[in-house]
Amino acid sequence: MSTAGRRLVIVVGSGGVGKTTIAAAMGVGSALRGEDTLVMTFDPSLRLRDALGVAPGGEADEVEVALEAPGRLQAGLLDARRTFDALVHRHAPDPASRDRILANRFYDHLAGSLAGVLEYMAVERLYEASREAPDRRIVLDTPPTRQALDFLGAPERIVAFLDSGALKIALKPWFDTDGHLRPTARLGALGRSAEAFLDRMVGLDLLRDMAEFFQAFGPLFDGFRERALEVRELLRSPDTVFVLVSGPGPERVADTLFFARKLAEEGYHLGPVVVNRLHPEPGPHAQAPPEVLRLLSWLGERDRRGAEELRGLLAGSHPLATIPLLPGEPADLEGLRDVAGLLREQGVE
Amino acid sequence: MPSHRTPARLLDRLTSLELIVVTGKGGVGKTSLSAALGNLLTAAGRTVLLLETDPRESLHRLLDVPPSGGEIVDAGRRLFLQNLQPRTVLDDLVEERLKVGLLTRRVLASPVYQHFAEGAPGLKEAAILGRALRIVEGHGPRRLRKVDTVILDAPATGHGVTLLQAPLLVAEVIDSGPVHRMARDISAFLSDARRSGIVIATLAEEMPVNETLQLVELLDARLARRPEAIVVNGLYPPVTGTGPEAATDDPALALWRERRCINDEQLGRLRDAWTGPLAELPLLPIDPGPALAGALARHLGEGLGATAAPEDP
Repeated sequence: MSTAGRRLVIVVGSGGVGKTTIAAAMGVGSALRGEDTLVMTFDPSLRLRDALGVAPGGEADEVEVALEAPGRLQAGLLDARRTFDALVHRHAPDPASRDRILANRFYDHLAGSLAGVLEYMAVERLYEASREAPDRRIVLDTPPTRQALDFLGAPERIVAFLDSGALKIALKPWFDTDGHLRPTARLGALGRSAEAFLDRMVGLDLLRDMAEFFQAFGPLFDGFRERALEVRELLRSPDTVFVLVSGPGPERVADTLFFARKLAEEGYHLGPVVVNRLHPEPGPHAQAPPEVLRLLSWLGERDRRGAEELRGLLAGSHPLATIPLLPGEPADLEGLRDVAGLLREQGVE
Repeated sequence: MPSHRTPARLLDRLTSLELIVVTGKGGVGKTSLSAALGNLLTAAGRTVLLLETDPRESLHRLLDVPPSGGEIVDAGRRLFLQNLQPRTVLDDLVEERLKVGLLTRRVLASPVYQHFAEGAPGLKEAAILGRALRIVEGHGPRRLRKVDTVILDAPATGHGVTLLQAPLLVAEVIDSGPVHRMARDISAFLSDARRSGIVIATLAEEMPVNETLQLVELLDARLARRPEAIVVNGLYPPVTGTGPEAATDDPALALWRERRCINDEQLGRLRDAWTGPLAELPLLPIDPGPALAGALARHLGEGLGATAAPEDP
């Protein structure tokens, strides 16, 4: 299964294996083959940022990449906070409730650090981008996390949260106009001591802020749920293919197989596996101090062994491409074009 | 500007700490550095607990012991290992506070708690750090009563500063009560330079160095803390430039020269921006295991001044 013809290409893998570079190279390759393409990345290096022409905090969501190719290449940076803010702007029923959400201190902490929000916002942005220009191909780089699969589960988690009843409880009118806990008022003296207990444990201010946050968010949740379900659908669509990037060496084989199995189990379509940054083995006539030769031979052999082992285990079920360790991480369009060429030669595109 | 501490003093200092947080970007060798530090400190007479939070365990391989699965593993010679999931620590805390079995089960099973525990900013991170504090104060499990130092192999997800800032965040959001006091105590522990310290692992490559320098700045700005040391992992051997290798065009050798050149460039960037202790660890042709941890500990010891280099008489 190659990635050719797929509308969505999602690049996954552990942290530090070079996902962003591979995603950028695949975008370049796709435009070179004549397809209009958008590359969405998280955390590109400064030089890669320059090459693609994207800047953090820039005005536009997407920029044109100065690549001479039959297809148009665009690039965008994924920014969770910005996507979340945009979502609030779009779904809030009126300016007053919008401002109430944006000013809530819970939102402030939540937007950046709530588990799954960053991941969810990435898939949300992906959904949006795929709707904006249906003919365009999208290559998505995924968040730099060791649990690379976390982000894929984000729509499910949001739906589970919305369906769990936690929200219904949270949306109840917990506080009366005097700022006292409603359910405890009916309990008389016992209620007052319950309230005092809660106040002692976590503070009523916190509970008040939380309740206000959920109430302000209430009208948004319906739209959220629907979209989360659509995003879930999109990720499993036959038009979407996953590319799994792995580091070199036998140590990484287990990790890579784990991801491959997980993806299949969850119903995603895994395409090619790319083993990145393999050390070349020194030739028989290489001359260097013995300890250097010993290290280089060891690295080269280790990486070759890892790729062979993985190839054997995948047993032809997915194309496997290897990308050699390059002198520097490819960070200009020419370097990306070379990597794209290597991927194409090995049947990834 | 001269270095604030001489290497030998740095090792003394690390040896005196109760908590060392080893942090850095994914794939920079945090875990092997944690194991090496563990070896180094136990050799200096400390009893050490290595705390790992990544659910996919890897520290045990460097110590040649079975995976922890949440249990305390005795790795011999005053070295212990435990893999702890933040959620477990949090659940334990609820159990301890509520004390009533039935109530505890109901709280733990309730969706409100589930989502609060998963989602509340900083709570899980604070719980892990809280566990470390309790252990060094002698309130941990019986087997860990004698632990002098906890080395925390920080999760690769998110920025190192998120972890370290978590107790502050919790103390700020929950502004009274026992949870607040607990978060405040952890926060005080983390800001006490006599008790806790941070070691940053990195590679001499562009992205890891960017992140390292950013982390140093954030630690200073948000927590007024300076890392104890930056440890640069996986350096290619230096190129002498005079040997026969300078002339060959073997791709592996060319790559080595170019990679080392990047290493030097990035080491230069680090040194320009960071005047504190910096230790360099070589890329070694050894599979992950006790031999690697031992070899790295030796290099680290030299880098930090454990074995006195031949000195002038």
